[in-house]
Order: sequence, then C-alpha cells, then structure tokens
Amino acid sequence: MAAPTPPSSGSSAPVDERTAGFEREALVHLDALYRVALRLSGNAADADDLVQETMLKAFRAWDQYEPGTNAKGWLLTILRHTFINEYRRRARHPESVDLDAIEPFAVFENIQEEDPQGRFFDQIVDDEVLRAIDALPEQFREAIVLSDVEGLSYEEIARVIGVPLGTVKSRLFRARRVLQRNLYKYAVDMGYIKGSRT
Amino acid sequence: MNCRDAVEHLYEFLDKELTPAIEREVRDHLEECQPCLEHFDFEQAFLKFLQARCRARSAPPELKRKILHELFDG
Repeated sequence: MAAPTPPSSGSSAPVDERTAGFEREALVHLDALYRVALRLSGNAADADDLVQETMLKAFRAWDQYEPGTNAKGWLLTILRHTFINEYRRRARHPESVDLDAIEPFAVFENIQEEDPQGRFFDQIVDDEVLRAIDALPEQFREAIVLSDVEGLSYEEIARVIGVPLGTVKSRLFRARRVLQRNLYKYAVDMGYIKGSRT
Repeated sequence: MNCRDAVEHLYEFLDKELTPAIEREVRDHLEECQPCLEHFDFEQAFLKFLQARCRARSAPPELKRKILHELFDG
C-alpha cells in the first residue's frame, strides 16, 4: 500500500498522526465495510460509493473517534446510517415484511434421519449462499451479515443497529432459521438431499 | 433445563453469548440429551458453513486506491 503524502501546509505533526491513525485503525476495515455494503445495497456500484462515502465521513469525523475503542463498529454505524439515509430508497428491497409472522422452521427436525450432520450444506456454493442472504428481509439480512459474515458480538450489533440486545438475539435467531430453511429447500430442489415431504 | 429451553438458547450458546451460569445449564442438558446434542451439532455445522462461504471476499483493489487517493492526495 502506498504511503499517504501528508499535506504540506500547517503544523504537520498532528496531521500526520491523524492520517496514520486513520490508516492504522480505520482503513484496515475496508474489506469488512465492503462486504457489508455489498449485502446491504445489493450491487457493486452502490457498494463502492457507499464505502467511499463512509470512509470520507469517517475521516472528517476522526477526531470524534476514541482511539483504541471499536473502530469497526464505529465505521459500520456510519455506513449503516449512510445506507439508510441515501441508498435504501434505491435498493432492491423496499419491502415491509411482518417479521414476527415468519414461522421459525427447524430444518434439523426434517433432516435428522437423513443427514443429521448437515453434510448437504457442503454442496451449496458461495454464490448461492450470498443470493439466499440477499433475498432475506433487510432486518434479517443485516443481522446475519454483522454476525455471521463480520463476526460482531451481540452487543456490538446492538450498538450498530441501535436496538436492545434482546432484539438482536431474537432477530438473529429468526434470521438464521429462515436462511437455513431457504438453503434447505434449495438443496432439496437441487437433489442434494431427499428431504422430507412437507 | 428442558429441551425447549436448551433450543431457545441454542445460538446464544454457540455464539458464546450466554452468562456462565446458563451456559453451564445448557452444557449439563446436552450431556444427558442426545437429540439436543445432535441438534446443536447440526446448527454449529450450519454456522461454520455460513461463515466459510461469506467471509473471504475483500474490497476491489481499485476501490482501495480510489479511497486512499481521495483521502490523502485530495
């Protein structure tokens, strides 16, 4: 990676430090931001713009960031706000789904005889999993991406999304169950498993 | 703890988000309940599979260059 050229004007030491700090603590999360942006926006062009805008906003607000605290969470919060305020209208999922009406369905109960260890999952390729995630209602998609794709803790997710911890737990539970059901149905359709007649 | 309670705490257990006391209760239940143990193993396999499929992607190099340029050369 090319070293940034410090601006020549002004007292350069604090500016250099600021730049170096931003590179060290924020830019290292670029891949994570991109993955989340891609899943939220649903296309590479918007994801590019969203990440650029997030990094710019973050750089401008860098003085508000407390060094050594959770930079990834801080950046994801900015990214999420930017997405909601500027991109969501254009995103593919303007749906309003009654999430509570979605029945959590336990795949395991349907498959414990045939494939209790879930070996059929191994046959499902990356793109198919991503497609299935993209097809989830936004609140579910967000929970899955922050947890399973980016590995945030429940508390970090609660802070990024701005909801109570209990909401994160129940949302993630339902999100995973719905995703699992959809991947299971896909695997049955593809003939990876027989599945049970429902 | 019964099967229903154990399954309710399933993901919290696998995500290591439970308090030590409740985690202990789940663990005790799993030691004596084979069906729940298999269910937990299945869900763990599912989470591992999800993570393996999704975590590898990185941002395009072109995007990195653009951002570096915008932030530091602009």
